[in-house]
Amino acid sequence: MNEAAWLTIAFVLMLLAMSWFALSLKSHWKQVTDGKPASRILRSLGWFCVMLSGLACLQADHASMAVLVWAMLSATAAFIVGQVLSYRPTLLRPLALFRA
Amino acid sequence: MQFNSTRQGMAWLHTWLGLILGFVLMVCFFFGALSVFDREIDRWAIPETRFDPQPMPSFDNLLMGVFERIEPDEAEYNRMMPKYHDASAGEMTPRLELPADEYWAYTTHRDPVLRMGAGFRVPFPADTEGHNHIHGNTTIDPRTGASVPDHHLKIGSEWFYPLHYSLNINWNFLGFFIVGIAGFFMLVALISGVWIHRKIFRELFTFRRHKSKQRSILDMHNMTGVVALPFHFFFAFTGLIIFVAFYYMPVTNTMLEPLHSAQQEIEAQEMGLPHKRAGVTAPMASVDAMVAEAKRRWAARDMAGEVGFLQMHHVGDQNAYVSIYRAGSDRVALVGEGIHFNGVTGEVLREDPPHSLAEAIGDFLAGLHLQHFEHWFLRWLYVIGGLLGCACIATGFMFFVEKRKQQHAKAGSQGSRVVDAFAVTTVTGMVIAAIAMLTANRFIPAATEGKGEIEKIVFWSVWALSFLHAAWRSAPVALAKSNPAWKEQTMLIALLGVVAVIANWISTGDHLIKTIFTDPYWAVAGVDLSLLAGSLIALLTVKKMSAMNETQSKQEAGQEEIATGETAYE
Repeated sequence: MNEAAWLTIAFVLMLLAMSWFALSLKSHWKQVTDGKPASRILRSLGWFCVMLSGLACLQADHASMAVLVWAMLSATAAFIVGQVLSYRPTLLRPLALFRA
Repeated sequence: MQFNSTRQGMAWLHTWLGLILGFVLMVCFFFGALSVFDREIDRWAIPETRFDPQPMPSFDNLLMGVFERIEPDEAEYNRMMPKYHDASAGEMTPRLELPADEYWAYTTHRDPVLRMGAGFRVPFPADTEGHNHIHGNTTIDPRTGASVPDHHLKIGSEWFYPLHYSLNINWNFLGFFIVGIAGFFMLVALISGVWIHRKIFRELFTFRRHKSKQRSILDMHNMTGVVALPFHFFFAFTGLIIFVAFYYMPVTNTMLEPLHSAQQEIEAQEMGLPHKRAGVTAPMASVDAMVAEAKRRWAARDMAGEVGFLQMHHVGDQNAYVSIYRAGSDRVALVGEGIHFNGVTGEVLREDPPHSLAEAIGDFLAGLHLQHFEHWFLRWLYVIGGLLGCACIATGFMFFVEKRKQQHAKAGSQGSRVVDAFAVTTVTGMVIAAIAMLTANRFIPAATEGKGEIEKIVFWSVWALSFLHAAWRSAPVALAKSNPAWKEQTMLIALLGVVAVIANWISTGDHLIKTIFTDPYWAVAGVDLSLLAGSLIALLTVKKMSAMNETQSKQEAGQEEIATGETAYE
């Protein structure tokens, strides 16, 4: 698979990771759906995706470059998720998977 | 100053350092973000150079002829020659008769043009141990060897780029020091910011834009600061590292000078490269053959690559040697894998050994900031990081004003009014100055003498005008209202962005349909699209500001009604 495809996968994974991190917090979960989040599971899912995203970065680039892409992706994804929660929180509803 | 808690002390530090140095940091972040695409902005500003990046051309057939044509810079000659020359030893050599001692050429994977330069030696130097070089530089089209006119300013790499680390104030390196201090206190502001932010993880994704203006501004400030915290930290930190030994703490030229000189001599001996000219003229061997050999050796090390930097020392002398460095487009760390050749025999004198761990960490840190690598996606992520930094600083200013303007209005203080006017100047004014410079570049005919100088004047005067405008319109802030200059200048950004793109189309024929579809040239298309994106964002912001002002005035009218109603009741 080529570099662009791996980077896209890394980006999507990072967006998923940040969304689950956000959903693991009660206040954001409430913006998206009702009930309470199973915080621990969501957070673990988030970390899992962060790691997978890192692996995808490593597939695309030399390790030293991959680290930078990974860190910058996390910043960008966190900002995007923050904005989605503010403007269109319901977009995250499909990801609100694990209720407490 | 007495504080009840560390947190309060940190808040004080963050507020005041952030305010004072924020104005400088805003320039660093914004023009730093533009510098990610400095070469592309150069292409936009100098249409004659809109062609594809070229590898290093043949030295023997093309570069040698260009090197021989380079003249020592007149201003540098007038300034430095009297200092270097020993009047008791002989006549001062006229400028055009200075003999060349050093040649260099530099290119990257993003450069269609090639930068070259020569260092000329002074025949009767006052300090025989010194370097004593008078320089001359040129930029050529590597396909033909023709020079790119000197009076065309490379707005990206020679204006926006140095602006972000020197503010283009070169007098006694003043700008470098101001930026250095700001960079250092950026680190302090980051640490104190994290300290005072109680819920750093719990509120990482929080932007309550429907709450009060002050709340939503603070949310945005926190979010843009925290999500890109590693970026902010590493760019301030590596920026300092890059310059610390040259400008900020040059101990090797002051306190440790003797040690430094001794070390240099040992290193030179170890390297086996001649430190001085032999004084015996000799013909130069084929440099193209050396380049071929260097490429062969890199390929043998499994790191095949192009030449990025090439330097010939002691030109025309028996001790001449040629250093050839690899273009580091495939890695972060800045390592040239230099190979050095005897200039007369063409034999390899030395291959640079791999760097030690400490050196490798340094290479990586400098490399991640200077980004010589070829990675368009990461470049854009860097732009996003830089713009998040700008948003963080801008919202910091706004929060400062929002928090205080009611109090100041009651007390009759002008404090927030002054800060707000400066904020307008550094946020919208800076963007206007940059776009105005690009627009002027497309309106001033290419043949105009001193074109680049005029563009610089446009840049500074537009920026100064934006300040005057912000100051002139600032009165409402003292009454706890908002300065209309914010909206007016944002409208101007929206307008100028479109004007710049149209001006580019009319003056060069390069419109977006051509640069994206029919004859793709992404450097120019990218600048055009960024300008249009900037316009669009500015337009949306204006709309948002209008809506906010409306609700605000409605609220105020409502409050007045209640107030008048109450008085009527009494």
